[in-house]
Amino acid sequence: MSNTDGHSGTSNPGTSAAWIVRIRHDLMQIWPVLASLILIYGFFFTMSPPFRSIDTLLSIFGQASILAILACGTTIVLISGGLDLSVGSIFAVVGVSVGIFMAEWGLPPFAAVCLGLAIGAALGALNGTIQVLTKVPAFIVTLGGLTAYKGLAEILASGRDLSRFPDAFKFFGTGNAIPMVIMFAAALLTGLFLTKTRLGNRAFAIGGNEEVARLSGVPIAKSRIYYYMLGGLLAGLAAMVEVAKLNFAMPARGQSYELYAIAAVVIGGTSLFGGRGGVGKTLLGMFIMQTIIVGLSYLGVGTSYQRIAIGAIIIAAVYWDVWRRTAR
Amino acid sequence: MSLGNTAAAKRPVLEAQGISKHYGGIVALDKVDLTLNEGEVLAIVGDNGAGKSTLIKALTGAIAKTTGVIRFDGAETQIDTPGDAKTAGIETVYQDLALVNEISITKNVFLGREIVRDDWLGRWLGVLDFKKMDAEIRDLFDKLDIRIADIYRDAEAFSGGQRQAVALSKTVMFGKRVAILDEPTAALGVRESKMAMDLVRSLKDHGLSVIMITHNMQHVLNYCDRVMVLRLGRLVAVRDVADVDGDTLVGLITGAKEAGAQA
Ligand SMILES: Nc1ncnc2c1ncn2[C@@H]1O[C@H](COP(=O)(O)OP(=O)(O)OP(=O)(O)O)[C@@H](O)[C@H]1O
Ligand SMILES: [Mg+2]
Repeated sequence: MSNTDGHSGTSNPGTSAAWIVRIRHDLMQIWPVLASLILIYGFFFTMSPPFRSIDTLLSIFGQASILAILACGTTIVLISGGLDLSVGSIFAVVGVSVGIFMAEWGLPPFAAVCLGLAIGAALGALNGTIQVLTKVPAFIVTLGGLTAYKGLAEILASGRDLSRFPDAFKFFGTGNAIPMVIMFAAALLTGLFLTKTRLGNRAFAIGGNEEVARLSGVPIAKSRIYYYMLGGLLAGLAAMVEVAKLNFAMPARGQSYELYAIAAVVIGGTSLFGGRGGVGKTLLGMFIMQTIIVGLSYLGVGTSYQRIAIGAIIIAAVYWDVWRRTAR
Repeated sequence: MSLGNTAAAKRPVLEAQGISKHYGGIVALDKVDLTLNEGEVLAIVGDNGAGKSTLIKALTGAIAKTTGVIRFDGAETQIDTPGDAKTAGIETVYQDLALVNEISITKNVFLGREIVRDDWLGRWLGVLDFKKMDAEIRDLFDKLDIRIADIYRDAEAFSGGQRQAVALSKTVMFGKRVAILDEPTAALGVRESKMAMDLVRSLKDHGLSVIMITHNMQHVLNYCDRVMVLRLGRLVAVRDVADVDGDTLVGLITGAKEAGAQA
């Protein structure tokens, strides 16, 4: 029950004892992350008067939302002991593709969205399939995917003006509110998947001890392909929200998103080594990261220094993960 | 082909012939034969590295055997994956590979055989029925006198004895014909060892045939019907437990005593 999403307490399995055990367990795991978020927010709150406005708070959530949708997929993959460095490029391919579907082919938004999700899922599944067939490590296969899919996005987009989309599509990027709603919906569904379903629960077992899972009769290869597929699908969803928000698509979008997603997932407390984590943690991690980025810019700290800060936090978060593992 | 007395009178459940396993140039297992009769407890003994774990892994599809044929209920059976073994009704507790630390006791026991809800959510989305799984585990633990209340906690929170009891309970829950246990009492205290061996006995009472690897000669003499001895990847003796004592077994294991005819 290594899951911490807020909604998991609503329909718990088993008796009330299960309920209490899980809440206590989740709180034990999550309090350092929650405390960090409050401390960091409090720090910028005292340091910068303009930071105190409710608009700033909303923009933190709003800016976090697109990356957070993508990071839901990263959460699944990391829990299962995998790694996907290509989701930023899948993001670019799907963004460009839905642009072409609507701006060039004139497809209705609904059809474009469905196709976009399918493309994201297919590219993710391809990563997983290559891995289980060739046994080449995830790091290498998805590093290949990172450049290959980026190239694909550039080829698709070259010489095209992908902008000015139908209002029904742009709606999904309206303000901070709609992307936030989509983020929470994606997180809720991901959390339900991880905690309630057979395939989702097996991600923890495979990430925790793949050999035991295999000996227990869990189909490892097939399950892994599904996890990468879901990672690609969520990257595609995030891409479409961004295209709707910007009202244009270009292959440069999504650059480094995979790293920010991994950072948020790990800062939230999901293990980089698999077996533990949850999507609620990922949201917290994303809010921490975004609060730091927004807060530092309010204090006049440039983007280059922000990157250094985020880098240091990632290392600290992984250190904490390693420390927790060895301290047990 | 054994020409023995009591054992040969019984019907064999699981038979293996000429099981070998080579790792590159290393012969970990060299043409070993095994017969498990209906309702018996068969011990496998041998020094560290004798090939005991390799034998049961090859038997249960956990590793690919280099050569060998397996017969189940007299019919030749392909067992190439752990899933094949489970389908045949063989449940195994592997050495050091019994539980996933990161997931709860309930999830561990049902891993690979989770119960889904009996509605469209279960059928179409694989939504699990935790209530039912928890209830079945409580029944099982009651029946086996395993005192673990917080089955929702991650497996790593439990002691070696408790973890072993959970692993053994899986064989009671799912083993239909055969239970295979690789050192079920390794690293257990006196009380926990006794509890584990009582579980082995209750497996027998539940009508299962059992293969048990052990280094404890007292457990062989007290709980097993027959014993096979491996040395350096070869089968050196098969005996009825009634015909041996501890010293004889130790002699066979170390090679101080050469084996004669098989029991
Ligand atoms: N994956 C492997 N690669 C190479 N050699 C192996 C491998 N697995 C086992 N072996 C070798 O096979 C031999 C038998 O090992 P096995 O684990 O079956 O011994 P065992 O009888 O179970 O010993 P123990 O009592 O210590 O558990 C050993 O010499 C071991 O080094
Ligand atoms: Mg062994």
